[in-house]
Order: sequence, then structure tokens, then C-alpha cells
Amino acid sequence: MQRLGDFKLPHFFNYPPYFTLQPVRETREKQVQLWKELILDYCRSQKIFVISLEEDFPLFSNPVVERSLSHEARQVFLAALVNEGRAEWIDKSHKKCLILWLRIQDWADYILNFVKENGFEDSVMTVEDIRFGIETRGTELAGIDRGVLLRALKLLEQKGKAAIFKGTSADDEGVKFSA
Amino acid sequence: MRRRPGIAGLKSAAAARDQYRLVGENVARIRADVMKEQLETFRTQLEDFARKHKNDIRKNPTFRSQFHEMCAKVGVDPLASNKGFWAELLGIGDFYYELGVQIVDICLSTRSHNGGLINLQELCSLLCQRRKVAREAVTEDDCLRAISKLKVLGSGFEVISVGKKKLVRSVPTELNKDHNEILEVAQAQGYVTIEELEKRLSWSSGRAIDALETLLKEGLAMIDDGHRDGKRRYWFPCVASIFSAPGSDGFRSL
Repeated sequence: MQRLGDFKLPHFFNYPPYFTLQPVRETREKQVQLWKELILDYCRSQKIFVISLEEDFPLFSNPVVERSLSHEARQVFLAALVNEGRAEWIDKSHKKCLILWLRIQDWADYILNFVKENGFEDSVMTVEDIRFGIETRGTELAGIDRGVLLRALKLLEQKGKAAIFKGTSADDEGVKFSA
Repeated sequence: MRRRPGIAGLKSAAAARDQYRLVGENVARIRADVMKEQLETFRTQLEDFARKHKNDIRKNPTFRSQFHEMCAKVGVDPLASNKGFWAELLGIGDFYYELGVQIVDICLSTRSHNGGLINLQELCSLLCQRRKVAREAVTEDDCLRAISKLKVLGSGFEVISVGKKKLVRSVPTELNKDHNEILEVAQAQGYVTIEELEKRLSWSSGRAIDALETLLKEGLAMIDDGHRDGKRRYWFPCVASIFSAPGSDGFRSL
């Protein structure tokens, strides 16, 4: 089995035609489905939040079979993720894509669960604590995209589960969780 | 015999008829009894044999296929009915019905990759993977038997021969001679190009494109425009699958 770092690649990754957009509808649907799953799995395992279509991305080419995805194919697969709410275009020209291997709602649930399990109710954490602090090490939260984290926290705030407040500098926001 | 007139004559004729009938019935009964006895002996012998070798039949695929051959020679189909003593004795019916169900399952779950056409060899290895717990070895011969039982469902399960390989078809697609020949050429590397078909089969490019278009529409082929020579390749997952073990299929030698 071929690997990309510590990531185990699926079988279809070594089958050349999966790198060409298929013209027949059913075949294309299956192809898109497989790529969607692969992109989400890979980004999750490598904690990748943004894919840029202009830059090299290890998933989009396979030197073993000497194939790589065309620009159009990349766009089709990412657009399919966007349609499902598992990704969002960051810019209007569709060159950068935010990958939500957890939806914002799922992130909010995950944070709430983390807070409960670790007894952080009624305590204060900064955004940077959550992203790089020792408390979140080894959890999905470690290294989370700042924008994604803030959106999840805002969702919690709307539900009355958290209160966000500004710190002294712009990138020093704090959050107080409530049970 | 001189005809005797009167009631006495009629009576004796009727008596004679009765006698004939009785004798005839006797003969028939004796014959039937002898037959029954022979059948009984044959049955007990077969049962004894099956009982004695029950484990061999279940565990040893070679023995199993020889047993089937023997049964076929004497005109007995151990799979014909699940109610028969074979099923009770060996569970052999169950064995094949179970295989049948698993085969259907594998064919369905791989259909989106291969368009409903799967290499018998691959089917068999997927079957073995799935049955790891059962520990009873399954051969291609067993697969073929189980598939032949599936035919009664009218679901269109069929085994077709393409070149040296056997393919199991689980969709009602009819493959014509041209399609078969393409699959045969594809067995070498897992794919074909139009140029290759023109050269190997001396076809016109129109004929090749036509047949390939049909195979694409049926979901049996996938196109690949990524090779650096710029020639479109048509891959056939049914002859060289993405599930196969590394090194066992053509495209890996690229």
C-alpha cells in the first residue's frame, strides 16, 4: 500500500483513469465520491484547512503512476465538497478552498465536549491557547484554523454556551465557557 | 380356443382376464420392489460414503469437486433441493447458498467500480477475504457452482469467457463479439488504446470507437488522458482491478 507520509492512500489512487474526469455520469459520480472522501480524510489526518488550487498539493498528483489532476478536475472535486457543505471557496475566483472535515456545527459540539470532559466550564481560555496550548494537544483542536475556530465559538456564543471577549491586542481574544 | 356361447362363456372369459391382470400386477410389483431395493442400497451407500467423508467434502475443495463429478455421473444433484438428505447430511446446500449470497453481495458492492463485470479470480479472492472466519477454502469451482444456482433467480448472473479469463456478469448487459475482443486485448495491460485495437484486430477506428463508447456507457470502461504520450487509454476495472494485490496487475509495471 502506497503512503503519503503517515497517510495510507486508497487503492484507486494508483488506478490512472481516476485522474481523468470521467465523461459517463454514473462513473463520474463514483469518481467524485471517492475523491471527496480522500480529500476529507487526508486533510483531517494532516490537519490541513486550506487547499490552494494554484499550488502543488500532494494528493493531486501521483508520481507512481505518473498522473496528476487537471485544474478542471481539482475544481470539480472541491466544488462537490462545497455543494455538500464540507468546504467553502475563500475567494471569488475559486482558487482557495477551506476544507471543513468537521462542519462548523460539529466543531462547536467538539469544543463543548472538550470543555466538559476537561472541566473548563466557567474558565477562560484564549483563542491561541485553544489552537496551540498544552490543554488541546493531541485533540482535533490542536492547530485548528483560526477562522474556523472563531466561527465555532460564535455559534456557541449564540447558544449561550460561551462568551467571547476582546483582549488587549487584536489577535488575543478570550473565551469563557459556561456549562 | 373355441368360442363358447352363453353366460358360462362370458364368465370364463372375464375370469381369464382377471387372472392375466393379477399376474401382470405381480410382475410389476416385483419389478418395483427390486428397483426400490436397489435405490435403497444405492442411497445408503451414497449416504455412507458422504457421511464417512463429510469432513473431506466440506473442508477439501479438490475432494468436493470430485464428489460433485461423481454425483453428476450417477445423475444426482446434491444441490437440487435444500430439503433432500444431502442438505441435512452435509449442509452442502447451505454452503453453496451462503456462497451465492456472498457472491451477490460482492458483485453489488463492486459494481460501481467495474460496471457489473468482475474477474472470477478476483471475485474468488474477495470471497476468501470475506470468509476468513469460516476457514473452509473456496475455489473457483465452488464459485461457478454457486453462480449456476443463482441462475434460477433469473437475476442475470452469468459466467462469460474472455480469452483465458472467466468473468462474472451481474448486469443484463449483452456483450457482443467486438466487446469481448476488446476485453481480451485489455487483459495484457488493463487498458487499450484505439491505435492498439486498429493494429491488433485490424479494425477501422470507427469500429473501435463505437465499441469503446458502448463499453464506456455501460460503466465497464474508464478513460485516462493523463499519459504523457497524449493517447487516450481505456481502462477496464473488470480485467485489472483497483482492488487487486500490489504487483499482480498490469498497470503497476508502468
